[in-house]
Amino acid sequence: MNTRPKVFVTGLGVICAGASDIAELRRLLLAPARRFQSSTVFPVAGESAALPVAQVSAPDLAEADVLPRTHRLAMLAARQAIGDGPAPDAIVLGTTTGGILTTEFALQAGVTSPAAYRFHGLDTVADYLAETLGVRGPVLTISTACSSAAVALSVASALLRPGLARRVLAGGADSLCRLTFHGFRQLQLVAARGATPLDVNRAGMTVGEGAGFLLLESDPGGRSMLAQVAGTGLSCDAYHATSPHPEGRGAALAMQRALAEAGFEPSAIDYINLHGTGTVDNDAAEARAIKQVFGDKVPALSSTKGLTGHTLAAAGAIEGVIAVLSLTDGLLPANTGLETVDPKLDVAPVRQPTRSPVRAVLSNSFGFGGNNACVVLCQPSQVNAVADARTDRPLALPALRVAAAACLSARGALDDTWAALVAAEKVAGFVPDACFAKAAPAAFIRRLKRLPRLMLALAQTAHTASGRSTPPDLLAVGTAWGPLAETQDFLRKLSETGDQFSSPMDFIGSVHNAPAGQVALLLGAQAPNLTCSAGDRSFEQALLCASLGMAAGARSALVMAAEAYDAQLSPLLDAAAATSPLASDGGAAFVLVPDDDVPGARVRWLGESGGGDGGTGAIALLAAIVAPDRYDAIAVSVPAALGAAADETLARLAGTLPDYPLVPYRDDLGQHASVSATATAIAARAVCEGVLPLGPIPLALPRRRLLLLQLGRHATAIEVFA
Amino acid sequence: MTEQTDPLVAELARKLVETLGLDMTAEAVDPAVPLIGAGLGIDSIDTLELVVMIEKDYGVKIDNRAAGVEAFASLAALADFIRQRRPASPP
Repeated sequence: MNTRPKVFVTGLGVICAGASDIAELRRLLLAPARRFQSSTVFPVAGESAALPVAQVSAPDLAEADVLPRTHRLAMLAARQAIGDGPAPDAIVLGTTTGGILTTEFALQAGVTSPAAYRFHGLDTVADYLAETLGVRGPVLTISTACSSAAVALSVASALLRPGLARRVLAGGADSLCRLTFHGFRQLQLVAARGATPLDVNRAGMTVGEGAGFLLLESDPGGRSMLAQVAGTGLSCDAYHATSPHPEGRGAALAMQRALAEAGFEPSAIDYINLHGTGTVDNDAAEARAIKQVFGDKVPALSSTKGLTGHTLAAAGAIEGVIAVLSLTDGLLPANTGLETVDPKLDVAPVRQPTRSPVRAVLSNSFGFGGNNACVVLCQPSQVNAVADARTDRPLALPALRVAAAACLSARGALDDTWAALVAAEKVAGFVPDACFAKAAPAAFIRRLKRLPRLMLALAQTAHTASGRSTPPDLLAVGTAWGPLAETQDFLRKLSETGDQFSSPMDFIGSVHNAPAGQVALLLGAQAPNLTCSAGDRSFEQALLCASLGMAAGARSALVMAAEAYDAQLSPLLDAAAATSPLASDGGAAFVLVPDDDVPGARVRWLGESGGGDGGTGAIALLAAIVAPDRYDAIAVSVPAALGAAADETLARLAGTLPDYPLVPYRDDLGQHASVSATATAIAARAVCEGVLPLGPIPLALPRRRLLLLQLGRHATAIEVFA
Repeated sequence: MTEQTDPLVAELARKLVETLGLDMTAEAVDPAVPLIGAGLGIDSIDTLELVVMIEKDYGVKIDNRAAGVEAFASLAALADFIRQRRPASPP
């Protein structure tokens, strides 16, 4: 029986090429007119100038602003979705570009001041929204390439269902930039005359930009219910870094999972909004996958990317908005740009905007790394009556048992790291190359740089140590900065050749979910595959996503986070790397299973709270969750970037919780954004051994229970106990 | 001139191993073996990487399937393909 609380859509916001709000998008869908042009966001020279993009034209964006374009696109759409209603209590945003456009200009100009790069981080988009809109709860950033926004809708729905939030702003945003435009160009995936999805002569995609948001609520009160998120489905091809599985294996799996979560038969779907990028391979694989799921009863379908362009991380949200308009307006959007349908696809796309009642829509989004996300939206009346979100639902997520843990520090793997700490030695610094050189067979890793190799070594070690013969049910990865060496190499080679040439491999490797895709390939994991890029709290958000998946029935999760230091970019982007005397990298991985009677460490995500530079958020968070006499100590991650504000926060924490020793651990473990994962691995060992080898003197743990606190723009807390 | 001593073949073999991070020496690449497929373990991303390298270093475009089939038939075929289309002076 379906007892999940409903997830209602109560607000919409959009900005994309040809539409700056919902009314304009409605008009555009009824009278589709492609507005592709040469980029004026960044200069394009030579033959590339003829390649059209789907660029947003809005007066607000023309003015100079310290905020990057992605941030501004996101804000324009977010304000529409919220309208004059109260602030949401959480945000889940998908993005791949963050502030990279601004970073590209700064790098080209040779700017060496970190201040010029302070909005580079993917998390700065959602954090800017949260700060401006007054959002105090979890603010998540998902980065799974072109499925990012659809994955964000899935995570937002999962937050609403256990009642962790009541009102979540979910969507995606990406701006045009040199990285994605030239990256797709070098992959020979950009159509010279604009995308014509499903056409027999289709020749690629049109790189676009934009933002879309859906305001999701479990308890909408008097607000109008536009639609419901009936179900979402995630999967990973585990087949290839960029090419879709030729039979659309993962795509079909994601569609089936979304239908299953909705409790719908395929026949309940009246319209499919395709991923439909217009590349030869995507459209062929997607058509096959649809045949697998729908047999010979394929519903009306179309790709709207011939109209909006491919807005990358925003696509799942902009198309989610289109799906809602399809439901509310009774409209089947046209497959714009199509002349002759490719007969090999054996599908009949909607040729003209068509009025027709629509009960439910399936929206597909697929990304690099074989990362698939499907969302089923339906009329508010279509889901059976279910329990209300407010009734007898625990607000806390379940504790998970640590079946295996792995870490990499300057001292090596977990045993060596632990031994060094017990010997009162610090483990900060770079992970020695030898620790991950043999992460996987040579042919598998020959093209991979530091971050994916680190991740593969961590994942393989934890998976092997868990003794499990099957891949995990869920993969959740955190990384604040993603594959920096790949990003840096791609942009450097591009600049060196006057924006003519760069490495396709570096582009593919630069997406933040590329390492997670490699891990899925190595383990053969077709499970949901999430990558969180939320600055210093990326690991905590990966743990949150995994915990939501486990609460919904997953039986095992591989949760990990890691950073790889890049000599040029890290000091510019991460204030901790710039100000710390000893630059560091590394991370940790965990195989987590449901709590059972097997002895060992447990880990539980407790909360995230924003406000100020960590101080206000941390105090509010602790006041809400910390009971007296519960913990032996609070291990605190104090990013060097916080500077003097950190001392003030620590003093306030000490004043608020005088009974708990505070153990700041970054000096011991290293100043990098995923060090809280390493700390969690150490804490999991510590609660079992009864002693915590961090700080000036080892701390006895009679309660065998530690609180781990991450300070920053948003503070997060997790507990580890045995 | 035999294939083994063709300087362009030798140069391409070096670039192939270096660009793609192949776990073999340049001398070990058989100039007659097909570049795509099981032999060297080269996939579609590698091919694109080579396409970019060939246009950048030799000014020769490989922008359609037929050209790709011809160019990547073997290392020797690639050298011939480049020689036939190379601009009079390097770009």
